Amino acid sequence: MLTLTNLQVLYDRSIQAVRDVSLTVPKGKVVALLGSNGAGKSTILKAISGVLGQEDGEVIGGDIRFEGDSLVHAAPRAIIERGLLQVPEGRALFATLTVEENLIMGGYTRSPAETREGLERVYAMFPRVKERRKQISGYLSGGEQQMVAIGRALMGRPRLLMLDEPSLGLAPQIVETIFETVLALNRDTGLTVLLVEQNAQVALKAASYGYIIENGRIVLDGPADKLAANDDVQEFYLGFAAGERKSMRDVKHYKRRKRWLS
Amino acid sequence: MDFLVLLIATGLVAGATYGLIAIGFALIYKATGVVNFAQGELVMLTAYIGYSLAGAFGLTFIPLLLVAVPISMAVGLVLERIFIRPMLGEPPFAIVMVTVGLAVILRGLIIVVWGSQPANFDAGIPTTVIRLGNVPFYPAQLIMIAALGLVVLAMWAFMRFSRYGIAMRAVAANETAALLTGVSVSRIHALAWVLSSGIAAIAGMLFAANFKLAPDLWFQGLKSFPAVILGGMDSIVGAAVGGIAIGLIESLSQGYIGEGMREIAGFIVIILVLMVRPYGLFGSRDIERV
Ligand SMILES: Nc1ncnc2c1ncn2[C@@H]1O[C@H](COP(=O)(O)OP(=O)(O)O)[C@@H](O)[C@H]1O
Ligand SMILES: [Mg+2]
Repeated sequence: MLTLTNLQVLYDRSIQAVRDVSLTVPKGKVVALLGSNGAGKSTILKAISGVLGQEDGEVIGGDIRFEGDSLVHAAPRAIIERGLLQVPEGRALFATLTVEENLIMGGYTRSPAETREGLERVYAMFPRVKERRKQISGYLSGGEQQMVAIGRALMGRPRLLMLDEPSLGLAPQIVETIFETVLALNRDTGLTVLLVEQNAQVALKAASYGYIIENGRIVLDGPADKLAANDDVQEFYLGFAAGERKSMRDVKHYKRRKRWLS
Repeated sequence: MDFLVLLIATGLVAGATYGLIAIGFALIYKATGVVNFAQGELVMLTAYIGYSLAGAFGLTFIPLLLVAVPISMAVGLVLERIFIRPMLGEPPFAIVMVTVGLAVILRGLIIVVWGSQPANFDAGIPTTVIRLGNVPFYPAQLIMIAALGLVVLAMWAFMRFSRYGIAMRAVAANETAALLTGVSVSRIHALAWVLSSGIAAIAGMLFAANFKLAPDLWFQGLKSFPAVILGGMDSIVGAAVGGIAIGLIESLSQGYIGEGMREIAGFIVIILVLMVRPYGLFGSRDIERV
């Protein structure tokens, strides 16, 4: 459904945040993109959504194809209308708007009737959000904000939903609720999901396939269960000790490991 | 007692002018994050456009509004396209400097087109005095106050209920997130200029009808600054309340403290406000919470 081939992204005409990323998100699947802070995950999502321009970023190589068509030069709105929506890192709600206004904005590309229907669906999915619909979204708790952010994206009627670190800063219980909701959507409606996470443990449980990115390059990929069982992944990304490995590379990885645990 | 009532009446009229101009500032600042230093010049330009339209077609006030406001909106759209749009993505400071340049250009242009002599422009409003109680008003004064009320009401409803109004607030809150919901941020910026220019036309023509039409009208833009800051820069209701408050403060201090106070009272107030509440009385402090 979505295919990136040899994607390269440059910020400020000088900082290469994505060096070589190829990945595929098949229709109806949940695919995880894992990597530590600064690896280039959010940059990839911004490139897919066409909003790199906001930060003086640019796709300088490779291609992004959605159902066969290149999105590299598409406007953000056209990308949304094709059904590619993203829940940005850190929620990025319209903090001064009410919860309901945030959701209405999510339906900006949709008709008033679709927006009304979308509100009902989101409220049914997240009763907590419904309770708070008249409140200013900036004052909600982190978990509630994440629900509103997901609800806002769902208002755009996604066929492929991209989630940028939805577990960031949330209590495990809330993470579980949110993942369950997204996975239920995948199961029941066939929603395709690209899940970006630092939290490998949670993500590999939810996904069927995973990619691991380091310094702007995909370094490893495979079915989620294989990845979770892989020695390297276990040692460096999931925090299990596995045998003796004493190369310099491991030492370097060890420093990184701490950031992977959560 | 009569003296006080008279001062209040004068203050309300001046305050309504400030309020209307300040709403124009607030709209552009809210949507684009730029202080438009050409707002006073926009008020002056649209007043002159109204003057020419009224002269050409002999229009009374309401028809004049119906013609001059849309034309002024179109002018706003063109100015935004030429001067502001190419600056999209540049640092706000650079854009503010462009508005300063635009202000100077408009001032010159107006003298070139309409000359430097003041003109009488009644904006098609009758000049028979109306008495409310025992306070005499010119119709243009009452219309100014009513116009502020109507504009505030219309803008409030627009921001609250229209999808473009909600989108404007969304852009103000988080531009990238707005893009991710499919909003064209540049169109929202243009819309802010369009609305602001329409309101400028109302303010400019009514100011001219109340006082005179002269190429120094732009100065009212500067004089509205205290109202903008008191109101908190990005709040429409705040701008209106700020305008009325500054108008009353100026008028009362002129009356009771002395000649010349009118010119400085507003600026004394903003210095005090900035010291105590840097985000104004109604402005939004950024909501920070994770
Ligand atoms: N707006 C920007 N301008 C310049 N460099 C950036 C910008 N955003 C991110 N980067 C850099 O690009 C790299 C990847 O960042 P990002 O995609 O945010 O990583 P991740 O989401 O995996 O944490 C980092 O080195 C970061 O410093
Ligand atoms: Mg990130």
